[in-house]
Amino acid sequence: MAPTGDDLQQIAEQVWASYLDTDGAKPLIPLPPDKLSKDVVAGVAVSGAWHGLVLVACSDVASKEAAAALLGMESDDVTEGDVDDALGELANVIGGNVKSLLPEPCTLGLPEVHNNADGDPWLAGDEICRFEATWMGEPMEVSVLEKPQGGGTE
Amino acid sequence: MVIDDSRAMRLILRRIVTGLNFDVVEAGNGREAMDRLEELEAVPELALIDWNMPEMNGLEFVTAVRADKKYRGMTLMMVTTESEHGQIVRALAAGAHEYVIKPFTPDAIVDKLVMLGLIPDGAHA
Repeated sequence: MAPTGDDLQQIAEQVWASYLDTDGAKPLIPLPPDKLSKDVVAGVAVSGAWHGLVLVACSDVASKEAAAALLGMESDDVTEGDVDDALGELANVIGGNVKSLLPEPCTLGLPEVHNNADGDPWLAGDEICRFEATWMGEPMEVSVLEKPQGGGTE
Repeated sequence: MVIDDSRAMRLILRRIVTGLNFDVVEAGNGREAMDRLEELEAVPELALIDWNMPEMNGLEFVTAVRADKKYRGMTLMMVTTESEHGQIVRALAAGAHEYVIKPFTPDAIVDKLVMLGLIPDGAHA
């Protein structure tokens, strides 16, 4: 039993419809973005019968738009703390739903948000599925990384 | 009372219940919520409670509230990403009245509040 890219798409689309695209004006488009950008990576660790991370990665612009939408503010006014809170909660909600597809019992950690995370040891692991999308013209990605048991999920 | 470590989620829930004419008190975790309860003059009618929070999680909060008779009249609704059947059973066994899985729509919250008799049917037209 393991989540697939289709599972991630379904979960992400539910999250977007509930919180970021409530009026259908800013849909999450299931097409790989023109450019790759992972300026901000939010993740939650899953531990127990399965160990790994559920991640939401996006561009800086998309992270601010997501925070603005969730917090009801203008994207120009969004602070780093706002991005951490909003992206962390997106990762938490997506992670919780992914956890239900993983072997039981597992527990979900608290969200972490990392900026410019390329090469970050936090992201070491084997990617088991990914969903790439475009949101408001910006790249958005949801992925699941499996880690060796007990390795680095904290 | 809205208890969630995410400010964004507290805001989303605040908007929903404020629209139903509830006054809202917020807390960022179970411990903070217990402290707020001690300060309040009246026991809140309803608490919307996240599960995974630092310091004191939602299940621990529910257990603590249910152990104190003065909060007997408080309706406890978990609003969480924890969607496994076993977790739902644990929360209800600890004393939660209802359970909503994130992501949710405003209508899902409203429907639960109608079922609990906290608002009349059709209150959120």
